[in-house]
Amino acid sequence: MTTTTTIVTQGRRIRRRVTWGAVFGWICLGIAIAISILPFYWVLRTSLSMNSALAANSSSLLPVEFNLGAFARVFGLQSTEEALAQGGSGAEINFWQYLLNSTIFATLTTAGAVFFSSMAAYAFARLRWKHRDLVFGLFLATVLVPPIFTALPNFLLIKNLGLLGTMFGMILPYIFMTPFAIFFMRQFFLNMSREVEEAAMIDGASQWRIFMQVVLPNAAAPLATLALLTFMGQWNEYFWPLLVSDESTRVLTVGLGTFKSQSPQGAPDWSGLMAATLVSAVPVLILFAVFGKRIVNSIGFSGLK
Amino acid sequence: MSRMKKIAAGTVAVLSVAALGGCAGGDDPNTIDYWLWDANQLPGYRQCAADFNAANPDLTVKVTQLGWDDYWGKLTNGMVAENAPDVFTNHLSKYPDYLRFEQLVPLDDTEVDFDRYADGLADLWVGQDGQRYGVPKDWDTIALFYNRDMLSDAGISEDEMAELTWNAEDGGTLEDVIAHLTIDSAGVRGDEEGFDKNDVEVYGMGLANSGSGMGQAEWSWFTGTTGWTHTNENPWGDHYNYDDERFQSAIAWWAGLIDKGYVPRLETTVGASMPDNFGAGKAAINSHGSWMIGQYASYDGIDLGIAPTPIGPEGERASMFNGLADSIWVGTDNLEGSKKWVEYLGSPACQDVIGDQGVVFPAILSSAERAVAAYEERGLDVSAFTEHVTDGTTFLFPITANAAQIDGIMKPAMDSILTGQADVGSLTDANTQVNRLFEDAGEDAADD
Repeated sequence: MTTTTTIVTQGRRIRRRVTWGAVFGWICLGIAIAISILPFYWVLRTSLSMNSALAANSSSLLPVEFNLGAFARVFGLQSTEEALAQGGSGAEINFWQYLLNSTIFATLTTAGAVFFSSMAAYAFARLRWKHRDLVFGLFLATVLVPPIFTALPNFLLIKNLGLLGTMFGMILPYIFMTPFAIFFMRQFFLNMSREVEEAAMIDGASQWRIFMQVVLPNAAAPLATLALLTFMGQWNEYFWPLLVSDESTRVLTVGLGTFKSQSPQGAPDWSGLMAATLVSAVPVLILFAVFGKRIVNSIGFSGLK
Repeated sequence: MSRMKKIAAGTVAVLSVAALGGCAGGDDPNTIDYWLWDANQLPGYRQCAADFNAANPDLTVKVTQLGWDDYWGKLTNGMVAENAPDVFTNHLSKYPDYLRFEQLVPLDDTEVDFDRYADGLADLWVGQDGQRYGVPKDWDTIALFYNRDMLSDAGISEDEMAELTWNAEDGGTLEDVIAHLTIDSAGVRGDEEGFDKNDVEVYGMGLANSGSGMGQAEWSWFTGTTGWTHTNENPWGDHYNYDDERFQSAIAWWAGLIDKGYVPRLETTVGASMPDNFGAGKAAINSHGSWMIGQYASYDGIDLGIAPTPIGPEGERASMFNGLADSIWVGTDNLEGSKKWVEYLGSPACQDVIGDQGVVFPAILSSAERAVAAYEERGLDVSAFTEHVTDGTTFLFPITANAAQIDGIMKPAMDSILTGQADVGSLTDANTQVNRLFEDAGEDAADD
């Protein structure tokens, strides 16, 4: 007990000695935090403002004519007439449908990509076959191809398959793998100790069983990281869903376009746009809150290996 | 092994559900899909759709609204994917391309009375083959939106605003007004001694963009007063006139306003909204189209005035006359129903409903008067827009082939003039490039 107290008091003394440096550090940190939080605050402030009053009070730090009309527009609780009266876009947004579509799209592509990519990664890391590293090199090289290059061929393929406007057509290009995911998992598998797998092999387990019952459970942490990263990426995906989706399969990112300018050279419904942005970011924020620790753990975990 | 099967079966099940779910939006031929981009008009067209359904119980109209930016992409995409709407709101700058790809249904055999609409509106929608591809729905002209408080502070009367003059040499009384309304951060006006053009607080006139090759709301309202026209004939001209001295000197005057500090720099307009800047009190006058009346009227704390565009060297005002129309897509699954709907959209019954909403001027002039009355009820005098039509000072939106390529040439050309990187003389080169498009097209046609 006594020892601990001494250490604490000593610690306090040390802190007091560097007060000025610490104060400076805290100020710097505070400024950095303020700078990174300010845009989010601005989103919140704009979303709580009356759109018609925004232009005249563009530098106001507090919401202008505080009201929740923008959020009502997002959830489709406001009639077109009301929205227009508030300077809103008046356009209809089928928020819950878009939210559901976004969730299905991001979840299915994430589940598919993570599962199939880890299978491929396992093959690249553990199975021995001819030209394995060459194929892996080629695979990795596709990271260099900008996604916009594949958009048109993919679009034509999906069109010819008659899948335009369907959720299936939207997830198809993402469901099997991304080169990054394969690379990420392969590096992890390479660092895993072989002994456990070899033990399983001696016990007569097949490759599939080793993969499913030994390798995957051991890779839970990097899988979670990968899933989270993929999910966030897919949640924010814009261009492909814009090309392929129709009204019934439209996702949130595309749906947010509703709040952009409705006529040429018009002004966007800023408060509606910001409210919708905020609401659509919530699921990802929740994921972070729940799984954030997991990411940190997984980094620590891979660091230890 | 059973586990693997379970997973495989699960995956397949999930994928098929997803696929089926996506297909659920089945097409009912008795439902006419109708698209428009302006949310302000949604209530009016909903009403039209309901009235139409009451008269034709077997037909339902589904009105879909998409913002301008997404509208054209989704529409073209839909034509490729063969799920475009049966009927859609069409724009003059886009329809030549749809004609070229044979995406529109000729409307000559409908029961639409094409003589019913404001002069010239129906002619805009006659293709090069002489057939009609659009039923006029509304029109727009250009006027000057101004901030009443700023004008009274500057001692400029409404009467002065109503009789502005313009010429390319000294800018006429328009430039005097713009200069006087410009104020730097020290409170010095643009026409006073010591004005700092690099530190302007309020610009005399706002800037949306360089106007590319059309300049509808940006510059066509003053270039049009010189007797200059975009093309050799309209519609379907095959020669552009950007090399004309009258056009070039008018643009030189305009670009000069930026140099004098009366108009914001082009760079500052990127990602910004000209109406929002007006709403924020950063500009005193904005030239804009009648489709923007609602937007300008929506800003709190702005006492809005609307003045006609200035009288030019030839003694008249000028405004581009643009008209939207409804077109039928060739892939419609109910041609007869679509025609009925288009006929109804073009009828006084529907256009009166739209007029009463007071958001646009319907193509039938008696319906447009209802719109004027509806604006008046909201305290807005929109005569600056309608005068162009009653006085006959409009010229039609230039329709030619190759609209997208022309835009690709003229936007950078006009941008570099406004940013001071090029002289107006460079427009002659741009014009040569533009006109080459038509020569090439002619050769291609000959090859075919």
